[in-house]
Amino acid sequence: MNRTRRNVIAGASIAVLAAAGLGYEGWRHLAKGYPPTPYDDLLSLLPDREPAKQVGRAFLTANSGFVPARAAGALRQRIAGRPLSTVLQDELAQGDIIEAGHWLLPQTLVGLCALAAKS
Amino acid sequence: MAFIDARQIPDGTELTPDLAIIGGGPAGITLALALANTPIKMLLLESGGVEFDAATQALYAGEESGVRYIPLDATRLRYLGGGTNHWGGWSRPLDRIDFERRDWLPFSGWPFPREEIEPYFARAQHLIEAGPFLYDKLANGVLPGPLLPLGKGGLYNSFFQFSQWHGNPQHLPTAFGHRYSEQLKRIPNLQLMLHANVTGLRLAKDVRWLDHLDVATLSGRKFTVKPRHTVLACGGIENARLLLASNDVIAAGVGNENDLVGRYFADHAIPRDNATVVVFGGEIAGYYKTTKDAQGAHFRATISPTEAFRRDRQLLGALITVEQHVGLDALGQAAVETASGALGINASEAHAYSLGVGLELTPDPDRRVMLTSARDALGMPRLKLSMTIADDDLARYREVLNELGRQLLASKTGMLRIDRHSRADWLSVMDWGNHHLGTTRMHDDAKQGVVDANSQVHGLANLFVAGSSVFPTYSASNPTLNLVALTLRLADHLKGVFR
Ligand SMILES: Cc1cc2nc3c(=O)[nH]c(=O)nc-3n(C[C@H](O)[C@H](O)[C@H](O)COP(=O)(O)OP(=O)(O)OC[C@H]3O[C@@H](n4cnc5c(N)ncnc54)[C@H](O)[C@@H]3O)c2cc1C
Repeated sequence: MNRTRRNVIAGASIAVLAAAGLGYEGWRHLAKGYPPTPYDDLLSLLPDREPAKQVGRAFLTANSGFVPARAAGALRQRIAGRPLSTVLQDELAQGDIIEAGHWLLPQTLVGLCALAAKS
Repeated sequence: MAFIDARQIPDGTELTPDLAIIGGGPAGITLALALANTPIKMLLLESGGVEFDAATQALYAGEESGVRYIPLDATRLRYLGGGTNHWGGWSRPLDRIDFERRDWLPFSGWPFPREEIEPYFARAQHLIEAGPFLYDKLANGVLPGPLLPLGKGGLYNSFFQFSQWHGNPQHLPTAFGHRYSEQLKRIPNLQLMLHANVTGLRLAKDVRWLDHLDVATLSGRKFTVKPRHTVLACGGIENARLLLASNDVIAAGVGNENDLVGRYFADHAIPRDNATVVVFGGEIAGYYKTTKDAQGAHFRATISPTEAFRRDRQLLGALITVEQHVGLDALGQAAVETASGALGINASEAHAYSLGVGLELTPDPDRRVMLTSARDALGMPRLKLSMTIADDDLARYREVLNELGRQLLASKTGMLRIDRHSRADWLSVMDWGNHHLGTTRMHDDAKQGVVDANSQVHGLANLFVAGSSVFPTYSASNPTLNLVALTLRLADHLKGVFR
């Protein structure tokens, strides 16, 4: 009888994504001192550079051809002074998503993450 | 009338019913119930007894090759009730698109549209005991918990309903043999014979008429049945075996002049843990993870591509299920922090779950069952299954996942990671639905199908096939509700044939 599609009882290994540090409010207060880079205008759009760097590194392992200066130019054009959330919503509406570490994310966000990883 | 034991029938007996039904699974039982109290004298021949028996089950053993599949004697049950003795009760009607000819999908197109079986769904639903026929209409009523907001896009919240045998204390899915035994015994125009294995379909000399059936028991009895009409209802694999093995007059087997019998086999691919979904706002409603009751139905939510999206992107059916809570690694947590932060969402209550899916496959003539030189205890040739799955089918599902990931982010509901990458990776988590489809496909043209739109074997006026072996394309929906509906339609057709 396969009431669930799997043989293992669902829920046996419950691991809730307990999210200390996931709070969006929290990281805004975490002022971190980073050395200046030519991309600070872009990097400052990220809510927190540390997790973003991790995402960026995951993207870069599968995309070794990433050139920061060129990517930064393209990102500035794309963003064109708009709030990041607006840019991302537009991209999502258009289906502009790519994988970083197999997570599906808006293209601009991944670009910013990759830039953070390279900085 | 009490069931008859074929082991008591004297050797050499010839029985002459109006209609022989070969197989007492849900297809055969449905047909007998639907033709009850008509002038048609029926004889239902069932290989097994009313309970499992190892020697009878061993008649189902065979070989598998290619992509790993379930052993042929483990994916079926050979006794009264057939597969419903261990089915999961997952039910969902075929969609309109499933019947359509799609230029981009080779061998697609049923000989009729969905409207043709719609009138039979209510009765089929009643027979499988899955409550009111609601399915996607459940979304319009009161549910125990909120639907996952998916916003606009190619995927939507849809629903399975489940068979529940109300007489059974554990509310298991309806096991047709046990559930309908008493009813079958009361049908005046039915004789139901247990332990009766049909071993051959014997053609008349002109090869346009099925003359008689050879029947054998494991105890060594042999006799014949000479019906006016016969319905083959032995399940999606065995239907093909019996046709192929009946090769004394036509070397390729009965109904196989065009080398189609046994080809186009399919099942629903079930790659486990193929993706991880994060829901930002907290726990997903329980009815995504397990069955719940509402609106009189026992149901579970699934996420699936809309028909419009499937047409537009040339995609096959996929029924995605939320499986279980999972933890996230550091990268996963970083991705959630980054995405939710950038979209301005509080993800402090986020939960992550693994996803499962039931996938439709592209019809493939090389995915097939063939006879081998090995023989079973009754001397019947055994089968070998050659299993395939196309890279394209996996790629199509990735596109479905991409869209789900996009929609989750766009609606600020959550996000998604695809967890399977190479073909080997997909195959390593591949399971199957135990749904045996396609081996006697339906098509108006004898060169493209074994049976016609009425389930009659092309060129043989008195042989019909019931069950999911007639499905020319497969949908992602579980087959039993649909094959029961098709069998009810066949019953109506047979009433006309006998009139
Ligand atoms: C583990 C499992 C879980 C499943 N879960 C689901 C689910 O959740 N939802 C769903 O829709 N479907 C499910 N199925 C599939 C479902 O069981 C089948 O779709 C259904 O049983 C097919 O009905 P049928 O009558 O065509 O064939 P079967 O159920 O296979 O019945 C065929 C009958 O013919 C008899 N027979 C075979 N050969 C001969 C012969 N030569 N002579 C006489 N009699 C013969 C057999 O003994 C058997 O009783 C599941 C199957 C399995 C194995």
